[in-house]
Amino acid sequence: MSGKMRILGSLIVIAIVAVALGVFIIRGPGPLDFAGGSKVALADYRAGKPTGVPAKLEKASLVERGEYLAKAADCMVCHTRPGEKDYSGGLAFKLPFGTLYSTNITPDKDTGIGNYSDQDFLNAVQHGKRRDGARLYPAMPYTSYTFMTDEDVLAVKAYLFSQPAVRAKAPENTLSFPFNQRWAMIVWSAVFNPDTRFAPDTSKSPEWNRGAYLAEALAHCGECHTPRNLGFALDNRKKFAGAITAGWRAFNISSDKATGLGNWSDQDLISYLSLGHAPGHGSASGPMGEAVDHSFSQFAPEDITSIVAYLRSVPPQPSPDLPATTAPVAPASHGDGVTADARGKKVFASACASCHGWSGESPVSPMATLTGTWAVNDPAATNVAQIVISGTKRHTPDGALSMPAFGNAYTDDEIAAVANYVTARFGAKGSKLTAKDVAELREQTAE
Amino acid sequence: MHMATTLTINGETKSFDAPPEMPLLWVLRDILGMTGTKFGCGIAQCGACTVHVDGKAVRSCVLPVSAVANRTVTTIEHVGSTPAGAKVQKAWLEAEVIQCGYCQSGQIMAAAALLAATPNPDDSDIDAAMAGNICRCGTYVRIREAIKHAANGQS
Repeated sequence: MSGKMRILGSLIVIAIVAVALGVFIIRGPGPLDFAGGSKVALADYRAGKPTGVPAKLEKASLVERGEYLAKAADCMVCHTRPGEKDYSGGLAFKLPFGTLYSTNITPDKDTGIGNYSDQDFLNAVQHGKRRDGARLYPAMPYTSYTFMTDEDVLAVKAYLFSQPAVRAKAPENTLSFPFNQRWAMIVWSAVFNPDTRFAPDTSKSPEWNRGAYLAEALAHCGECHTPRNLGFALDNRKKFAGAITAGWRAFNISSDKATGLGNWSDQDLISYLSLGHAPGHGSASGPMGEAVDHSFSQFAPEDITSIVAYLRSVPPQPSPDLPATTAPVAPASHGDGVTADARGKKVFASACASCHGWSGESPVSPMATLTGTWAVNDPAATNVAQIVISGTKRHTPDGALSMPAFGNAYTDDEIAAVANYVTARFGAKGSKLTAKDVAELREQTAE
Repeated sequence: MHMATTLTINGETKSFDAPPEMPLLWVLRDILGMTGTKFGCGIAQCGACTVHVDGKAVRSCVLPVSAVANRTVTTIEHVGSTPAGAKVQKAWLEAEVIQCGYCQSGQIMAAAALLAATPNPDDSDIDAAMAGNICRCGTYVRIREAIKHAANGQS
C-alpha cells in the first residue's frame, strides 16, 4: 500500500470514529439504561408478563385488547382534532420551525390507513416509516413505540381498523427549510430511534418491568417529561427532569425529593394518574389532563401501581428553577399577603376568587385548590397562564369540574398580570410574565 | 347515569335523582323549583347564580352537585334567616338598590357572605368580595352604600 493510500485510509478511519463518537455522545443513554441490570429477550423472560394487556383482558378479543393498548398508548389525543371524529387527525402541533398536522388513522382507504398491511403498520409505529416509504417526523413518538411488541402493535391496528372510516385529509405541514426535508429523518431516525423491542431487566421485579413497558413503550411519558437535546431527541441524561411541550410545562417526574415525585406518596401518584388529582398536589390539566381522561383513567389498577413502581426507580434529577418547597396556604383575607400587582388582583377578584378563594384553598372543590401545586410555584408561571388562556374540563367518576377559558376574554397584558398575582400570592416566588410572553404561549398551544 | 342524591338546602334535607355532574344551579331551579337563584353566564363569571356552600359564596352554575354532598347549601330563599342576610336584605330595600333585579339574588348572597366573614368591610374588602358580581343596570354605587349601611346597622 502506498503512503498516500495509508494516509487516506487513516483519515477515513478517523472520520468514522469521529462520527461514531459524535453519534454516541449526542444520542446519550437509552430510556431504560439507567436501570443498569442485565436484559433478556422477552421470549426468555419467565418471571412475569410485562407486555400485552392486564390479566382481566387476557381472554378478550383482539379488538378489545387493541382498544386497551391504544388507550394506553394514547393514540387518540394527538390523532383527533377537538370537535372532529375520533382518530381522524388534523391536530396542529405548532413548532418553532412551522406547523405539523397529525394524520388520519381511521381505516379510510384514501385519507386514512385503510390500505396499511400489518407490516406497513409495524413500519410506521416502530420504525417511523410511512406506507409510501416517506419518513415520519418524530412528533409521532415512534422512538417510544418502537419498544412495543409486534403483537401489541398489531392489536392496536385491529382496534383502529374496527373503528368507523372517516374521510378527512389533514392540512399540509408548513415546516420551513431545512425541516421540510423529510428524507433528513432517515438520518435522524438512524441516530435516535433505538429500533428495538422491550427487553425485560432480570434484576428488577416483574411489576417494575410491566411499569417500564407501560411508561416507555405505551404511555411515552418521556416524550413530554424528558428534555430534548440539540437533535430534538430525548436527552435521557436528564430523564424525566421536566420540559416544555406544546406550550405547557410537563413537570419533573424523576424521584427528586424536592422538585420531582420523591415526596409524593404511592397513593398520591395512583390518585393523580387515575383521577387526575392528588390532594395537596393539584389537578392535571392541559396535555396531562387529556392523558388522564383518555389514557391513564382507563388503566387497570395493577397497571397504575406498576407505573408507580417504575417511576420510583428513575434517578433524581433536580429542577433548579423550582423552589425547594411549595408555598403554604395564603391568608384568608384579600388584604393580607401579597398585594404587589394591583391589576392582577382586580382580575383575580372578578374572575378567579369565587372558585379558588383568597387563600388558594377552593371553597368549591379540592380539585380547584391552588395551594401546593407546581403550577403556582413555578416562577415562570407557564401553566398558570396556559390554564387561564384555555381553561380545563376534568372528568372524574363523580362528575365533571371545569374552568372556563379566558383567552378570548382578557388581553395578554391582563393574563400576565393575573398570572403574576397568582404566583406571588399562592406560590413561593412571583412570576414576571409580560404580555409578550403570554402571546408566545398562545402561539405554542396545539389546536 | 342518575343517582339518588341527598343535600341539605336551607336547613331542609332534599332527596332527588340527578346525574352527579349536573350543576347545582340546575338542581335548584329545574328539579327543586327554587328559581330565586338565577342563571346568568353559566361560566362563573357574572355571579347571578351565587349561593352559599358552608357559608361561603360560590357560583352554583359550575358546581357539580356531587361536590356539595354532605355540605350545607343556603340560597336566596333562606338567606334572610341568617343574621348577615337579614341585615343585607333590609339595607337593600331601604337603599332601593334594585333596578331590573336579575343579578340581585347573587349580589345579596355575595354581600351576606362578605358581612358574615368581615363585619365591617372597607372599600377594598367590598371590591374583593363583590368584583365577580356583575350588574348591567349599574347599581354598584347603591350596592356599596347598602353594604356599608348593613355593616353599621344604620339601615
